[in-house]
Amino acid sequence: MALLFFFIISTLLALSVFSNKNRSINFSAASIYSLLHISLSIYAYINLNDLDSVYYKFDSLGIILNGLLSIILIPVFWHIRYFLDRYIPDRKMKGRFISLIIILSTALSSIYFADNIVIVWVSLEITTVAVTFLIYHERYPDALEAAWKFLFISSFGIVLAFIGILLLSVKVSNAQDSSLSYTHLQAVSHLIDPLFMKAAFLLLVTGYSIKMNIFPLYPATVDAKTIAPFPVNALTSTAVLNGGFVAIFRLYSIISGTESAVWANRVLLIIGMTSLVIMSVQLFKVKRFSRMFAYSSMEHMALVIIALSLGKPGLYAAILHIMLHSLAKTGIFLHYGQIRAYYLSGWIHDSGDYMKQNGFSALVYLLGLMTATAVPPSGLFVSEYLILRALFSEGYSYIAIAIIVLLSVVMYVIFKYSMQLLYGKLPDNFQKDKAIINKYEPVSQIILFGLVFYLAYFTPGFIKELMNSVVQNLN
Amino acid sequence: MGVGLVLILITSLIFPGIVSVVKAKIAGRKGPRVMQHFYDIIRLMKKGNIYSRTTGFLFQLAPIIYFSTLLTAVFFIPVGNYKALLSFEGDFVMFAYLMASGRFIMIIAAMDTGSGFEGMGANREAFYSLLAEPVFFIIMGSIALHTGHNSFYDIFSNLYVESALTYFVSALSVYLIFWVSMIENSRLPVDDPQTHLELTMVHEVMVLDHSGFELGLIQLAGGLKFAIFGSLIFNLVLPIQNSYFLQLTFFPIVQVIYAVLVAFVESFRARNKMMRNAQWIITLSALSIVVFLTILIIHEKVGMLP
Amino acid sequence: MMIVLLIIFACTLIYFFLSERVEKHINLLAVQGTLLFIIAFINLIEINVLGLILILLETLIVKAIIIPRFLNRIRRTNNLNRLVENYIPFFYSVLIITAIIIASFFTAYSIRNHFVDVKFLAIALSTILGGIYFTIVHKNIFNHIVGIMIVENGAFLLSLAVGGEFPFLVSMAVLIDILIAVLIIGIFIDKIGSAFGNMSTSSLNKLKD
Repeated sequence: MALLFFFIISTLLALSVFSNKNRSINFSAASIYSLLHISLSIYAYINLNDLDSVYYKFDSLGIILNGLLSIILIPVFWHIRYFLDRYIPDRKMKGRFISLIIILSTALSSIYFADNIVIVWVSLEITTVAVTFLIYHERYPDALEAAWKFLFISSFGIVLAFIGILLLSVKVSNAQDSSLSYTHLQAVSHLIDPLFMKAAFLLLVTGYSIKMNIFPLYPATVDAKTIAPFPVNALTSTAVLNGGFVAIFRLYSIISGTESAVWANRVLLIIGMTSLVIMSVQLFKVKRFSRMFAYSSMEHMALVIIALSLGKPGLYAAILHIMLHSLAKTGIFLHYGQIRAYYLSGWIHDSGDYMKQNGFSALVYLLGLMTATAVPPSGLFVSEYLILRALFSEGYSYIAIAIIVLLSVVMYVIFKYSMQLLYGKLPDNFQKDKAIINKYEPVSQIILFGLVFYLAYFTPGFIKELMNSVVQNLN
Repeated sequence: MGVGLVLILITSLIFPGIVSVVKAKIAGRKGPRVMQHFYDIIRLMKKGNIYSRTTGFLFQLAPIIYFSTLLTAVFFIPVGNYKALLSFEGDFVMFAYLMASGRFIMIIAAMDTGSGFEGMGANREAFYSLLAEPVFFIIMGSIALHTGHNSFYDIFSNLYVESALTYFVSALSVYLIFWVSMIENSRLPVDDPQTHLELTMVHEVMVLDHSGFELGLIQLAGGLKFAIFGSLIFNLVLPIQNSYFLQLTFFPIVQVIYAVLVAFVESFRARNKMMRNAQWIITLSALSIVVFLTILIIHEKVGMLP
Repeated sequence: MMIVLLIIFACTLIYFFLSERVEKHINLLAVQGTLLFIIAFINLIEINVLGLILILLETLIVKAIIIPRFLNRIRRTNNLNRLVENYIPFFYSVLIITAIIIASFFTAYSIRNHFVDVKFLAIALSTILGGIYFTIVHKNIFNHIVGIMIVENGAFLLSLAVGGEFPFLVSMAVLIDILIAVLIIGIFIDKIGSAFGNMSTSSLNKLKD
């Protein structure tokens, strides 16, 4: 029942700050929530593999991702302080922002731990609603457009996913609370008609692809991330993507035990490769930093999906990649908030000469860039290397080579745009007196990037154990 | 057998009269006598013909062929407990093609005049009837599939097996055939027979050049068409299973109701926009296809098709 | 009786593509909701109170009353009477929906097995595909929500086809979820209407970079 208490307390916290105007109450609620979230992660780790009511289960993957979210939430709440002070003058809206973030994180925890396919579906819909309002939080027409697209396409995807769930329930449903649990579905997966299974897989992956920012429903996500406030991006580009991954992974764990497993692997491989190709082409057109990083997330998620398509051999690498990417992307988006505050614009052509103007921040940005694009000392290089090695050893050499080529293209483009920021000419409309600069802000990013390095090269034993148990549990 | 035929022919003479009387009553006018339409035709037939110099023999021949195809089509429809004059397996296909060939010859005649207006009207008439044709075929096909027979007489004598589906299919068929009859007769909402602007006409503009005896024949044929569809509707409402006496009593009543319905539609419904006509007619086909598919599913005959 | 209701349901699908007025679309949604209630009610094998309440809530109250009323309110406040424009003319739309219905029937028939009811599956498939098509062809974002509702109705029919019965709590969660989603989409439509002055997707293309 621990999760039930968690949900109730979170809801109360969210309600208490929803229309609250007091700054200190806002942030004490945020702090309480962070502590609560961390204690949930610890509680889950202590009760590993235990059921929590019929709908939830503390399994290894859930614990890893929930722990990640707990870690991410601390710097995100820290930076939300800056964001609210700078851009949101209305005091009521400040409370609402924090309230929505709490709702979003709670729904994400619900996705991570859910052992029931319908609970995942419902929780994903809640994240849709929360993210939509977060995107539209600054209330200007572009934000409205982005929020609408995200909301509409998400809802459409959710409906498709629901149809997929219905198809899955053909054989297994006996109107008992455990009938749609993943455990039960895995046990009866061989009884489900292969055609229905495949159709359900396609529909569900399509429906959830918008959350994971991959082909086919990626455009709305990319648009949303272009517009969303940076603390929101720090969550949607990490924790929400992980939520999408969990949803797809749990589904995959059902289908992987059946005769359709090979087919599912191929579908995932195609989705991953298509996403990678699309993003590397689209990347040439970007004009805003947030959009560039959104496509970068798409790249990493495509890699994760490709790793997942290998089944067991790629799974360890996929989970490691997800972890490291979450930490790195949080840092990148938090830093993007500082770039935007400094140049008063998120457009690439409005930036320049960062290195001379603001040396320390520029170095942090460079560090983050190297981490996110997996330049060798970075932690992400390790997981990418593992993915590529798995591809080679599974006999997908051509695909691995294609991926290497595409990744170099991506790296080139991202560095090209970043050079404009770091060393380019300072734009004429730059207003030095209005630029906001805070030398303590980059600290959180240094910690995050350091964490990426640490987790990749000196992975703690208990995390390794958790990841290995995820791999072992896949049948 | 003869009685049914006579009934249909009588209906064809009175039908347009009833329609115009009811329309006049609805509009609050005094209106013509019921037989006025018939007298007009007689007056026309007494007159001589005037032919345009551009027209050829086809133009003079067309109304006669048109009328005779419709008259032949009448022989296919059973009324009462007897088989129709012409009754064989698959006769409803023949019936539909007779109607179509009559229309074809009229379209050819309209082209023959060389007038731009008549060409336009012929074009529209061809298009609309092209779209309406599937409705009739699919409806008759589904009923044939449902009853397992394929001549008018057998279909109508086996129609009512007691089930909700049959009632529903019959009701929908009556609805669809009603609208098909409106399209075939160039009535509202596809065409307005009372319009005075050639540009908006469909059927009327096609027969602008006909005069005298031939115009009379064309008008007679219009009544015949209504009578034909009216008898089809009658057969769907009250199939041959019922007693002969009942059939003969109810035939005129059903025809009058049909005529009144036509008048009501003409009085209260606005004409479609020209560009919406096609879409409207195709919807009727879509509805009939739904019926057809349902019957296929019910009778588990999908496997027969590729 | 069931087959008659299903035919009428398929016919409403065709009428969605015939009418140009938004109000008619909303009315058709209400009709579909009512039909779904009757279908589900007849399909109810054993009368238990919870199941009945659920069906009543899901179809009659939410789908036939609350959502159409809500949509009508949005329509009135935004002065939306006719469709803005379509990507594909109505004529072809009617043809395509007919093709969709035919294809769905044959698909349903070819994949039938012991677990599914072919009648429901056929209509459900055509409704889902028809709803997706409806959403694609309309440039008017108001009609997108109508399209989603059509797909929802198809999903409901599909649940009848596969006989999938969820536990009561889960069904309630799903129902509330859908309702909230529709309400929020409606609110956003309202906001777009007042922010952009129209509801055409062509005014929503700033985010291309």
